Amino acid sequence: MERVLIANRGEIAIRIMKACQDLGLDYVMIYTKEDQNSLHVKLAEQNQKDRKRLFRVSSYRDPNDLFEVADITSSTAIHPGYGFIAEDYRVARRAVTRERPIKFIGPRWQVLKDFGNKINTKKIASALGIPSIPGSEGPIYNEMEAEDIAVRLFEMQQEQGIPNPSILIKPSTGGGGMGIEEVVHIDQFRRIYRQVRNYSKRQFGDEGVLIEQYIKNVNHIEVQLVCSQHKEIVHCGTRNCTIQTGRRQKRIEVAPGLDFSQAYKFDPQRILETIISYSIRMARYVDYDSLGTWEWLVTKEGTPYLLEVNPRIQVENAVSSRITTFKNRASSINLIREQIRLALGDKLGYKQNDLSFKGVSIEFRIVAEDTKRGFIPWSGCISNFQLPTYSWLDVYTHVPNTEPYVIPSEYDPNLALAVVWGETFKEAKERGLKFLSEAIIEGENGYGDPVTTNIEFLKNNIDNLCRYNYSGCH
Amino acid sequence: MEAEKRFLNLENRILYLIDIKGDNIYPGFFELKAKADKLKKNFYQLSSGEILSEMESLEEMLAFYEIKAERDLTPMEIARIVRNPQRFTLRDILDNVYDDYSELGGAGDCNIDPAIVVARADISRKIGNRIYSHQVMVIGHEKGKGEEFRNGGSAKPWGNEKALRYMKVAETEGIPIHIYISTPGAYPIEDYPGSAQQIARNLYEMTKLKVPIISVISEGGSGGAEAIGLSDMRLMLSHGYYSVISPEGAAAIEGKIPEGKKAPKELIDFCAEQLKITAQDSLSLGVVDRIIPEPPLGARKEDDGFFRRLRYEMLRATDEVVLSTKTFRTLRAYSVKRRRKMPIEGEFDVDIRWELSHKERMRLLRLRSKKYRSMGTRFFVDLRHPFKKFMDKASSGLRYFYTEVYFDLLKKHKRSVEKVIEEVSQEGTIALAPIKNPFKSIYTFIKDRFPRRVLRPIDHRLPVNAVADFGEIYVSPLANEDRVITCPNSHTHGCLDLWVPDLYGDLHGVCPNCGHHFPLEYQWYLKTLFDKGSVREFNSHIGSTNSIGYKGFDRKIQGDQKKTKRKSAIITFLARINGIELVVAMLYSNFRNGTVGAAEGEKFVLACDHARALKLPLLAYVHATGGIRIHEGTVGVVQMPKCTMAVREYIDAGGLYIVVYDNNSYAGPVASFLGCSPYQFAIKSSNIGFAGPRVIRETTGEDIPPDYHRADNALKRGHIQGIWDRRTFRKNLYMALLTMGGKNLYYR
Amino acid sequence: MTEVDLHDLLLKYKSHPYELVRIQTPHTGRVEFKVEDGMAISGPKGKWQEIRGTLLYILERQKNPKPMYAPIDGTVVEVQTHLDGAFVESDEYLMSIKHPMNKEEVISKILCELLHIFRAPEKAKYLYSPQLAAKMGDKKEKEVVIQPGDEILIMSRMKRDIPLVYKGEPGVIYRTYFSPTRLVDQGEPLLGICPVEKITSVTRLVQQIHLEWEA
Repeated sequence: MERVLIANRGEIAIRIMKACQDLGLDYVMIYTKEDQNSLHVKLAEQNQKDRKRLFRVSSYRDPNDLFEVADITSSTAIHPGYGFIAEDYRVARRAVTRERPIKFIGPRWQVLKDFGNKINTKKIASALGIPSIPGSEGPIYNEMEAEDIAVRLFEMQQEQGIPNPSILIKPSTGGGGMGIEEVVHIDQFRRIYRQVRNYSKRQFGDEGVLIEQYIKNVNHIEVQLVCSQHKEIVHCGTRNCTIQTGRRQKRIEVAPGLDFSQAYKFDPQRILETIISYSIRMARYVDYDSLGTWEWLVTKEGTPYLLEVNPRIQVENAVSSRITTFKNRASSINLIREQIRLALGDKLGYKQNDLSFKGVSIEFRIVAEDTKRGFIPWSGCISNFQLPTYSWLDVYTHVPNTEPYVIPSEYDPNLALAVVWGETFKEAKERGLKFLSEAIIEGENGYGDPVTTNIEFLKNNIDNLCRYNYSGCH
Repeated sequence: MEAEKRFLNLENRILYLIDIKGDNIYPGFFELKAKADKLKKNFYQLSSGEILSEMESLEEMLAFYEIKAERDLTPMEIARIVRNPQRFTLRDILDNVYDDYSELGGAGDCNIDPAIVVARADISRKIGNRIYSHQVMVIGHEKGKGEEFRNGGSAKPWGNEKALRYMKVAETEGIPIHIYISTPGAYPIEDYPGSAQQIARNLYEMTKLKVPIISVISEGGSGGAEAIGLSDMRLMLSHGYYSVISPEGAAAIEGKIPEGKKAPKELIDFCAEQLKITAQDSLSLGVVDRIIPEPPLGARKEDDGFFRRLRYEMLRATDEVVLSTKTFRTLRAYSVKRRRKMPIEGEFDVDIRWELSHKERMRLLRLRSKKYRSMGTRFFVDLRHPFKKFMDKASSGLRYFYTEVYFDLLKKHKRSVEKVIEEVSQEGTIALAPIKNPFKSIYTFIKDRFPRRVLRPIDHRLPVNAVADFGEIYVSPLANEDRVITCPNSHTHGCLDLWVPDLYGDLHGVCPNCGHHFPLEYQWYLKTLFDKGSVREFNSHIGSTNSIGYKGFDRKIQGDQKKTKRKSAIITFLARINGIELVVAMLYSNFRNGTVGAAEGEKFVLACDHARALKLPLLAYVHATGGIRIHEGTVGVVQMPKCTMAVREYIDAGGLYIVVYDNNSYAGPVASFLGCSPYQFAIKSSNIGFAGPRVIRETTGEDIPPDYHRADNALKRGHIQGIWDRRTFRKNLYMALLTMGGKNLYYR
Repeated sequence: MTEVDLHDLLLKYKSHPYELVRIQTPHTGRVEFKVEDGMAISGPKGKWQEIRGTLLYILERQKNPKPMYAPIDGTVVEVQTHLDGAFVESDEYLMSIKHPMNKEEVISKILCELLHIFRAPEKAKYLYSPQLAAKMGDKKEKEVVIQPGDEILIMSRMKRDIPLVYKGEPGVIYRTYFSPTRLVDQGEPLLGICPVEKITSVTRLVQQIHLEWEA
């Protein structure tokens, strides 16, 4: 029997655990001492009468603890969830190449490695004629060459009549938006180039930078693909994740990716189809073998650019699951379950034709943060946490509602994901507002200040969904 | 009164003999000692006649023992003579050999380093009734008597710096330098200018110092001796010693004696013997030119005859050096003068002026170069077939010729044409081309490939990666284990434990969290630093031998030769980095811990010459060096000036000499041909220094912090010019090749 | 604080001059004890703490046997011998070290009660603000005066650096309790601040403790 080590925390650990239970797989849960009051620990604790399924580790990031627990428990697979080790190709490689191999629930490590590298992703895209953001094709080490590219990018934007042209300089290694700087005039270029180069050298040990056009006023739309190890590919439609914090953290996601009732300068149907077909082309080319998300930027004019590929399950997978239904089964898909099943070697068992999309689903990420002051995370004790229940609502949380919960300062202060569904955008938005108005979150921190959450921010941004020119937080 | 004095002298001689012979004192000698003690006790009860006769018999017996002792002096006993407080010091020489002197840069303990004394002095000779006087610069170690502040003649870095400063004064003024070496070794501290670095700087300057240098070795303690020892004529006192390491130090290493414990006496005696430290040994090894005789059991303060002899020897040696620079015609003029009267030993018939003309100075330097380059050439093996030797010589000769014709005759012309083109087009495109092609980053260059045993082949069909496929890729054999290790910085930096196949695979042995560099085998550098397939080794046939016949060393050499499948601790080769050809000399740890002996020195010199002739940059990559090879004694020590000579000549010819230290680099090589480079870099987490922590603790009595020798501290002290990450080594090196160095490089 | 109070305080520490230091596993692995109950052990020693303390136990994880040394002098108590040779989770309690407090440590504890203690507002890592670090430069701890409104520390948590502004009385930094690499629990002391006019009296008190402790 397969036994899955759930190498994550919080709500995703719970969702993975439930998916394992649904699939009839055994599982092992881990936690750190800071997380001992988390719901994912409590749930696992309740289910170890026959054998121990809950292990305390030093960190979710330390693969050595993960493999040690996997070995002690004879786990056969490891689910990384999202964040932590999810995109670390070395962990994936170690899992499958060690003396006692373990299946890594995700794409094979080579794919992780290549998509972990912005340049490679871009190279693959351009080899297939897929548009990616105009800029350097590889890491730049030479200042004169860098400036040359910058000049061309500014000229190109001027020719296209783009107002306020600007470019971005990014470290070629590393990720998570670290070290990225904007240049709005070519005269600033050298100074900022050197700044990024030095940062990159210090931070990642490599001086290489990427130079790209800064594309503004875009919608951030992503394509959910489901691929098996048997060269089968289906998609689960698109999602729109444009509503983000100032630090490019997603806060509201909606599926499908565009609201057809709105007026766009382009044909939304056609654009979504285009990015789906591009994504599939690329997945087929690299022989992609797991769940994956292709992230796109779509401009106001309807030009799509590939941003990056996320070779893992994403936080917002539920909005796609919610609207993707099996025609003949009248049930919707569960992407986490699919991911596990496929990683263990199963075939898909259905084709694209068997899937249909129904309604609109919106996810709200409820986070304890001060949205008015740079989204500073709030930490303290949640004393009362009551969210309403509805048939059109799914809530994923690790915050217990029966006892006080101290938010551990080691991790992001995410409290819950709430996924609402409606027949139409209008209905989904209304239900979303209703939910947000009814949610009760109380608590205070060490100074006696009450909890701050982003609920107001979420409410205020519902109307911005799938729109252009929203001033938001970009 | 007279009798008392005489007895005191007698007693001193007895004590001296006991000191020298140590435990080897003759059994009968105790009888003598007992008699002397008795005499002393009853001195005032006895009549003067009794005393006299008793003393006479004692003196007779003592003389017998002294002659006997002189006859069977062991090397360790010689060491004890040299260290004995009754031995003369530099002060005695200045008083007795020179007529007049004034000390420079210090007075007693009011001195930047009282262990080094510098004096402007007069030395004179009598020809007939006339006195001729010469000006010289006297530099040497002053042990002092009961003067703790002299540190026993152990020079601090700034003391050696002072010596160099006044050598340059002598050069400016055109007067010869007389050097007296009497040091147990350099004081091993790293404070600026640093023991090793300053010795290297001294050697580098002395190779081309344009005045005659005469040196006299009394106590020649390795690096400390070399710091001021490079000279045109190397004299040695008959009861002096010259050694790569103190016998006690050698015994501690040979016997693997734990710190704080003493090595057994027998082992120390054995080492003293094996190290070939006596004057006679040094002469036959060719590391000194002549021996100056001392009275039996060594010269002491009162030996006036000895100082007379020393004066004569110094004048004669300086004359000889000066004369060696003269043309045949001048020499003949001298010899015509001389023929008038036959000279007597110890006297001079002709006054020779010590000033040199420009041409003579050049000749002096040529001879000095030749002298050092020939040192130790007897002590390695050339394992080629004679015909191959001939062919190799012919082919390299051809290439040298080609380089000369092409670059010196044709390229100069071409260069001026290029310059015009450049100016006309106003675009440095030609010059830019090599920089513009972004050098393949080391990441793609050494793309990970895992050992087959651990990794099952997995279909990896991303065609974009085909670009980076370099065929067979080197993976450290260390990676071949499913195991985890801990980063030494984990408790301060919170580094996670590292999986060995990751660490020695695509992490290149570097902790991704703190950047700590785990050691990698030298093959890694051979395979990943240079353009694929560009490494061509030369002189691999030159092999280390047991040069001074150190007992039991043959076996060790053979063992290492078998283990490494190489013949010496240095690999010299031609290689390319992004198309730029260069000569590399690589000291590596697996062979005698990267120590330098005659074969290594010779190979290094040949590498310098090769690079000079072919107008190539020269890289000394020090994977590790433990210093001068102890088992090659002073033959090893003279590799310091010898290699520095070759480096100096290479740099003066307009080359680019880069030194990169890795892992551990200590002692002699750092204090000479490595430390003299203007471009020294260190790979992260490496250690660079003069003496290891134990030696520092044992000689200075002070403890040092654990990170004392770390590269960052070496950088702080100004010993190196930068710290390189192993992962960007290739890129940094390429940038260095493009931006540093002189004019005599083929790609300039 | 009066002298009587001080005397009582000293008596309290004198009557129980021990501190129990809990030893827990830093991560998972198989544990092998190298000490027994009652064994006297020593912490790191040497001018640079370069000599390791006594080997307490070996924690082997993924074929990496990691020796774990005593962080402090004392006597080993409560060794959880039943865990010897077993797999343990992270943060498992293994033993305690009964550490006899020396004069300095007692002074440190008493100072905590005398000084204005700036405590950690949240569990986080703390470091000096660049301004304060620059001000401290080569000066000694007790010479740097801080004013209310000064940015004194950086609180580092959740991938963010948050500057902390000093609010109390102006004074000098008399003691520093944190190290930039260590996570500090909420409420633990970070800095001991002494108002400028009280420095002499505090210094005198410390001297008095020195004397009292000897007595």
